[in-house]
Amino acid sequence: MTYDPKTGKGLGRFYDADHRALKYREWRGAKDTFYDYARWMKLYGFMAAELGPYAPQMARAMLRYRWMVPYLTAANMMDRHTIGQSGKDLRYSHKQFYSVLHHSVIKVKEILQRDENLNPGSERARKLRENTVMFDEMTPSLIMMGFPTLDWIDIAMMAVGMPSEVDQNSCMYYIDAIEHFGLAPDVCPEPATECGVAVVDDYAKVGKCYVTSSMPCDGAVQQTALMSRYLKGVSIFQITPPQRINEPQVQEYAVKNLKKAIRFIEDEMGVKWDWDAFWKNAAMYNQMAECMIEKWDVNSTDYPQVCGAALALQREFEFMGAACLDEYMLKTDREVTKMMHKGYEYDLAHGTNKPKYRCIVWACPAHYYTNFANWADLCWGVKCVNDMEAMLSYLPITVGDQEQALRDLARCYERMMMRSHTNGGYVNLLDELWKMCDRFNVNIVIMYDHVSCRNVGGLHGLFEDEARSRGIHLIWVPHDVMDPRTVSRREMRDAFNKYMVNVFREEPLDPTLLDYEDALAW
Amino acid sequence: MKDLKYLKYFEDLLEDTGNDLVRKAEAEGDIALGYTCFHAPEVLMDLPGCFSLRLRAPHTNSMEMATYYMANNSCEYARALLERALEGNFAFLHGIVGVDVCEANNRCMENMGILKIQGADKEKFFISNLDVPYSDDEDCVEHFEEQVSRKILKPLRDNYGIDTSDAAIRRAVAEHNEICRVISELGDFRKLLNPPITGYEFHVLTLATYTCPKCLILKKLRETLEEVRSRRPDPNKKYRARVLVVGSEIDDPGLIKLIEDTGALVVADRFCFGSVPGRQEIPLNDDEDALTQVCRYNLQSTQCPRQCAAHRVQNRYDTVERLAREYSADGAIYEQIKFCTYWSYERAMAGYIMPREYGIHVLSVDRPYIVGQSGQLRTRIQAFIESLEIKKINEEKGERAQ
Repeated sequence: MTYDPKTGKGLGRFYDADHRALKYREWRGAKDTFYDYARWMKLYGFMAAELGPYAPQMARAMLRYRWMVPYLTAANMMDRHTIGQSGKDLRYSHKQFYSVLHHSVIKVKEILQRDENLNPGSERARKLRENTVMFDEMTPSLIMMGFPTLDWIDIAMMAVGMPSEVDQNSCMYYIDAIEHFGLAPDVCPEPATECGVAVVDDYAKVGKCYVTSSMPCDGAVQQTALMSRYLKGVSIFQITPPQRINEPQVQEYAVKNLKKAIRFIEDEMGVKWDWDAFWKNAAMYNQMAECMIEKWDVNSTDYPQVCGAALALQREFEFMGAACLDEYMLKTDREVTKMMHKGYEYDLAHGTNKPKYRCIVWACPAHYYTNFANWADLCWGVKCVNDMEAMLSYLPITVGDQEQALRDLARCYERMMMRSHTNGGYVNLLDELWKMCDRFNVNIVIMYDHVSCRNVGGLHGLFEDEARSRGIHLIWVPHDVMDPRTVSRREMRDAFNKYMVNVFREEPLDPTLLDYEDALAW
Repeated sequence: MKDLKYLKYFEDLLEDTGNDLVRKAEAEGDIALGYTCFHAPEVLMDLPGCFSLRLRAPHTNSMEMATYYMANNSCEYARALLERALEGNFAFLHGIVGVDVCEANNRCMENMGILKIQGADKEKFFISNLDVPYSDDEDCVEHFEEQVSRKILKPLRDNYGIDTSDAAIRRAVAEHNEICRVISELGDFRKLLNPPITGYEFHVLTLATYTCPKCLILKKLRETLEEVRSRRPDPNKKYRARVLVVGSEIDDPGLIKLIEDTGALVVADRFCFGSVPGRQEIPLNDDEDALTQVCRYNLQSTQCPRQCAAHRVQNRYDTVERLAREYSADGAIYEQIKFCTYWSYERAMAGYIMPREYGIHVLSVDRPYIVGQSGQLRTRIQAFIESLEIKKINEEKGERAQ
């Protein structure tokens, strides 16, 4: 219990309307507080060790790139996702998020090493760039499984995706820039922000060619057109998986398209696709997917373990950001899976930690409020046992059969983050939700109502009709993905609060979390 | 100018999707196939025994039911169609050929399918959703051909016994090309300094070819062409500036009328439901299947911003530049229906690129589906026309000074 009814003190007291950082550090008991502090030190220690040697470039990067600054607040991201946690939950979260930040720090280092803007005239940086493929945020870099000698950097993930999750205010400047350029403000702010970064010339110049895609939505398609102009002089390939991904007839085209992408990288970078490396990396991919499924299986029981953003964000980043090619993430997956089984056995034996309410999260989440599900748990006891964003491609890649492996890889692209549900017809978004409600034994769905998304919005009424007929509570939580000025975190909480009070007639577990101002917070 | 003899006739046909000619064709045993997008090859829905109807929702007011089902941030065109469908206005259709090209249209079709909008007597009704590739190379053509074969031709054959042979496709293409020749010739008159046809009249005629069985309007179109050939325009040109309209779908001639009421003349139409693309002849050779050629033509001639491979983006800018040159346009109006993601981006980029790289003055606007008498839009267009006039005056002054 994080709320003390005698003193009236709860977790809401950590937030301050006038400050970005939390007001206090949380006391979780000696053991857990020490653990938490040690992890905090570990993260900054790792950042110092990896980025310290590149201090001049880092300093230049802070002045050159607006998006670089939020990385300094990475520890706050861990704090946000661990607030109110102790014991095994605290450890799951720390390990999961550390693996995400671990990967990000290494990628930031790679940017510092080779960026032309930060290393003008450097021969070493030029050589590194010659060996690097740039990717767009919504294009999984899984194809690099077959190119072990090449480096790759997801330039938009590092400039937009990750910072937007670290600091809620990081995208506003870029959104304003692209709207000033003439883009309608009603489009999804995610690709709009990526375009905004291009308009103000804030992308790092770190590679020789650029791989983008048509995924996952109309906005992402159009972002490609703008990026193609921005990256004039850089060779570009657009991976365009089919839309109706459930149809077996479209798979042949998908594989052909992927083969073209492979050929593009071979031609541009002067290397050959390496099947041996691919098999090794595919095996790693499969192991990561297995760990994910194990977490799902445990979360389907009465005693879910790795929940909320610790489950979803890590998987999302593992697949989209790290392309399942990060051995540290696999190591973390194994550790957490082992801990999770132990935790499950304990809870089962003692009948502890059974959630008051169970929910799953559906539709596109707000980047600026990744810990919303944690808040719902702490404030109302609604535990998020799975998240649509984590339900991306999880079927294994066949090892040893080249044609089948490419079909499997194409399927990974078709069913990457969001796209696995928003493409291929309503069955993947609408019908799949009811299946997942059954599988995870939930009757509450936190339905993210992304106010600029035409895709999920296009099924709004059918969701309502079906949910009513099935007795499932859809709690629509509006947001605008990257722009908290449209719908603030506070307004998101308010939408949820109203449902819990008016429909469930529920009392909050921690009343101090009901309403507080955090518009300035990271 | 004297009114065109059949203008009122064509205007009346645009008042309702299930107009008199649609009812007549159905009474004669033809089947009506609705569609919404250029990416669904129109000519394949005009095979002998069936006819295509590009779906519209004229005089749309309330869209409350559709807004419940699709949320208020969806394209108004898609919502207007769903509203009409839920009201039962598309119950006469025998099938709908949808495309998974933009999110709003895709979801609109899916809602129609789930909510069963077909008439009670239409037991063979089908809705298909084509997977349209993002580019135009031969892999894309092959993929698209498979989709079209399975999702258009097969249900037509299996459900309605329509002849989908190569010969039937060639016949449909020939009839399609006949309509295209008439419309193209009518459109070419707009290249003249003082054209004998207005942009509004041309749009009404073009729109009629999308929304009526073609064989039933061809005769009157030919007569109209003859009439325009000999029509005497007003002695002094009445317009203040010639403009090209570019953008997302316009199926409301009221918008073109609103533009022309401000003193502009719409000389070229590069928008969905317009003549470019859509009313150019489809060239066929005898060496290859007609179906393959139709599919390739469709992918290579689309001007939808959804295709964002670099050469396709370039093709769109070049097309606008070519049209502006051929039709002597003083400027281009880039318009989009509100909430259209594709055109939001295209419009923003064109607003930057066209003036700087092509020297084409651009007005960039978004608009509701049914424009009505939008004062806001009228004011913006008026200001644009004035700016074009001022630029022309300044250019003339500059030339004189030299």
